[in-house]
Amino acid sequence: MLELLGISVLALAALSAVFLVALVLKRSRLAREEQRRETLEERVRPFALALVDGEAVELPELSTEERAMLAEAIGRLSRNLTGDARGRIGRYFAGTSAYAAEIAALRGRRVWRRATAAYRLGDMACPEAVPELLRALEDRDADVRAAAARSLGRLGRPEAAEPLVRVLVDGTVPRALAFRAVLDLGPAALRALRGLARADDPDERAEAAELLGWLGDAADDALLIEAVGDPSAEVRAKAAGALGRLASADGAEALTEALGDRIYFVRLQAARALGQVGERAAVPRLLRQAREDRFEAARAAAQAVARVDPAALLDAAAEPDAGPHLHEAADLLRV
Amino acid sequence: MSELSPSPLVLVADDDPDILDLVRYRLERSGYEVATARDGLEAVRLAGELAPSLAVLDVMMPSLNGFEVTRRLREDPATREIPVILLTARAQESDVQEGFDAGADDYIRKPFSPRELSARVQAVLGRR
Repeated sequence: MLELLGISVLALAALSAVFLVALVLKRSRLAREEQRRETLEERVRPFALALVDGEAVELPELSTEERAMLAEAIGRLSRNLTGDARGRIGRYFAGTSAYAAEIAALRGRRVWRRATAAYRLGDMACPEAVPELLRALEDRDADVRAAAARSLGRLGRPEAAEPLVRVLVDGTVPRALAFRAVLDLGPAALRALRGLARADDPDERAEAAELLGWLGDAADDALLIEAVGDPSAEVRAKAAGALGRLASADGAEALTEALGDRIYFVRLQAARALGQVGERAAVPRLLRQAREDRFEAARAAAQAVARVDPAALLDAAAEPDAGPHLHEAADLLRV
Repeated sequence: MSELSPSPLVLVADDDPDILDLVRYRLERSGYEVATARDGLEAVRLAGELAPSLAVLDVMMPSLNGFEVTRRLREDPATREIPVILLTARAQESDVQEGFDAGADDYIRKPFSPRELSARVQAVLGRR
């Protein structure tokens, strides 16, 4: 019995030793690999910096591995850049084997590889990748769809705007990611957003109205004023918020009208927007809302008055029927 | 023999090595000397030691953010006059006003265009 126990202990000790040696070897292999990558990157980094900066660079003879590292470095650097630098990066990658490999991987079977390819194609800045990325936006895997949305935003092509708003609405890409992707498109998204602001689907109209508030300009005032009268309360609220963000003086009348909306979150957004627009004529209506409306809408109205006409707010807060929201806004004003 | 005037020294502070390299590369190509810092405290220290002609500061940095660095530069008589350009991410745009309140002269949104950065640096230096 004792002998058996001794053998077991020895066997366990031997196994532990083998395991430990294997771990040390693996760790040292990984460290060597990391060091080799760092050396490679150090060698190609000056070329990557010069290429993204637009210098005419005479590239030396590079191994396949160095070319891949150069592509990775350019891709990573390009995430921080806009303007003509992105165009140069795209022209560099177009037609290269690195670009072709990512396109092939995007059609591959392994999910992580498809997601990585979708991400890298955005960094490579080739507009030619847009049709493939639009297909990837319908991938069965959520990570691939998210990476494709991010890259479509980075590529800044107008044809991506509608599909991105659709995935924003149907929730197949997380809202924050899809929203950010449309914002990244910038003015390239405007035409599609203006069309979607009149779509049949109220959710599409609502998202388009909100995005127009971020990306639009005075040319969108009429469309957003119309949307403040939309049958959908969500659209009315988002349109009111957008008019406020654009500080649309033309929208003041529609926003004042919206203070009488039967849905409280429309009244809330209208009050906030009037504060941003700075509409003094709306102060009496805002004061009434601050005294009588539901908590959030009343609070927004009081804060709007504080912004538009501080003296009127302090006078109203001194009256006996002022209520908590006017008192709160007056206290904040005095701080 | 004519004496060449030295290139203006620009202090660049960012915790992202890629951005630090990109900014340094562009500014050196535009004829500036560049000193770099990886966090806010190092930026304040280098500004005091080197008296740069201008500082380009990331808003989100470890130890001290770009606003705080700007405030400290403005409080110290030795660094008060150093113009500051803030590098800010899109999501922080609402903080731009805070940057100006802290004493920044201009801001550049990330991701950025290297040519625009160079032009802004030139413009801010020209205003002083």
